[in-house]
Amino acid sequence: MSTTDQKPRPRIGPDSAPFWDGCRRHELRLPFCADCGKPHLPPGPVCPHCFSARLEWRNASGRGRISTWVIVHKPWFPAFAAEIPYNVVQVELDEGPRLTANVVGTNELSVGQRVEVVFDEIDAELTMPRFRLAP
Amino acid sequence: MKPDAAIVGVGASAFGRFLPDSQLSLAATALKAALDDCGLRRDDIDGLSIHMGSPLGVDYDRVASAFGLNIRYVNQSWLHGRFVTNALQHAALAVSAGLADVVACVTAISFTREREILGGPGDVEGNREEGGTHGESPPYGLTAPAGGAALAMQRYLAETGADRDKLAAVPMSIRDHAVLNPDSIMRQKLTLQAYQDARTIVDPLRLFDCCLVNDGAVVALITRMNRARDLKQKPVRIAGMQGIRTGREEFIFAPPGLGIGQQPVSPVRSRPVDVEVYGSACIDRSAVRGVYTYDAFSPLVLFMLERFGFCGAGEAIDFVQDGRIGPGGELPVNTSGGLLSEAHIGGWNHIREMVRQLRGTAGPRQIPGADVLQWATVWGDSVIMTAA
Repeated sequence: MSTTDQKPRPRIGPDSAPFWDGCRRHELRLPFCADCGKPHLPPGPVCPHCFSARLEWRNASGRGRISTWVIVHKPWFPAFAAEIPYNVVQVELDEGPRLTANVVGTNELSVGQRVEVVFDEIDAELTMPRFRLAP
Repeated sequence: MKPDAAIVGVGASAFGRFLPDSQLSLAATALKAALDDCGLRRDDIDGLSIHMGSPLGVDYDRVASAFGLNIRYVNQSWLHGRFVTNALQHAALAVSAGLADVVACVTAISFTREREILGGPGDVEGNREEGGTHGESPPYGLTAPAGGAALAMQRYLAETGADRDKLAAVPMSIRDHAVLNPDSIMRQKLTLQAYQDARTIVDPLRLFDCCLVNDGAVVALITRMNRARDLKQKPVRIAGMQGIRTGREEFIFAPPGLGIGQQPVSPVRSRPVDVEVYGSACIDRSAVRGVYTYDAFSPLVLFMLERFGFCGAGEAIDFVQDGRIGPGGELPVNTSGGLLSEAHIGGWNHIREMVRQLRGTAGPRQIPGADVLQWATVWGDSVIMTAA
């Protein structure tokens, strides 16, 4: 649980640790199924498509499209108050799974816009993926 | 097994913001009223189906001990819209199977004392290891159930190309019902101007697209039909049921196929699995005289209408225009004023209203000839109730 003057940090567990380890190295990685070949998010202990436990973490393209987005106006978090209004998006990666994040640099968004990942180094332990509009 | 169950008594506390009463006190008032309503005595209750509990309320054992009950069947969920049907279905199945003779469905809410849990740094759901179920992502600043409803509505608007302000028809129609209900917290007509002028919460949702945050309690008493017939009121029969739909095709605040969270994208919003309840109740959808739904956010009403096939994919935003879901409309929705305008009693204020409608005692809100009513939610569960 975060204190109110800090932004909440992701809860990193055994299943999601490889994702966040990759972000620290500026690599967007996904768990792919070694049996059916499909990737999934959020990271789980097994492939949700075929229930195989054989998962392999591979680098993703880091590119995708905005599948939906919102602009937050209510200051729920004191730590985000200075950024209001700010966006939160779901990005459908070119590999298929969707990731929730922010788009940096603009709130002028629409469904279907192409985006690419950028890495935001919060501190030595945490780097968060965000997106920017693709050129 | 066909359910053999009826709602025989309903009772409520006052509904309001910052009520001085404890949660247990609100529940006691509602339970006494429900017993008085049907003529059952406290000692007749031998089952509890509790729609409160941790983290927002007291647990079943404290309810039983506080009220001096002797209970032999318990079901407990936590206070969450998706568990209204769950609590009601467990009660109906328990009496049908003889696990209990009379089950009290108890919901008491003190949101105004617990509101920090609902979003922000205290967002218990969103901050869990696997996150919340409404798409919450606190590290990116998205918290509270409103965020999930907004994510779904934005994509719905992009898909349909609909004018965003058409959504106003939902809270305006539901407010029109609330104006006719003396228990409603919001009793002033909602104009389009007032709707547009209200602050944005999480775009595309504005203030009046979001439900009330308040206090209150409702109790419903369930027993088998043969016993129900001997009690004071006309029984309200549980005629058909279907459970929550979940899995990779589902995002709690979106109809199937919309593509929120990890949902696959599909043009089909209503599948055979979404409408099993009509077969369960041996009725056609066209027999439904009114629909009751968990209107925590106005888009959820649209998505429910599409999932249950009251209109086609992408059509609900037009379907709700021109008073069709309001008083006297072709398909009245949430005639007591719902979570948006009557009160947020976890959906049980809707269940109480369904009982009044089926008894024919809903006063100025009475739906003419109301003999079949449906509870149905965007996440796919449903109960059909009939005048026995």
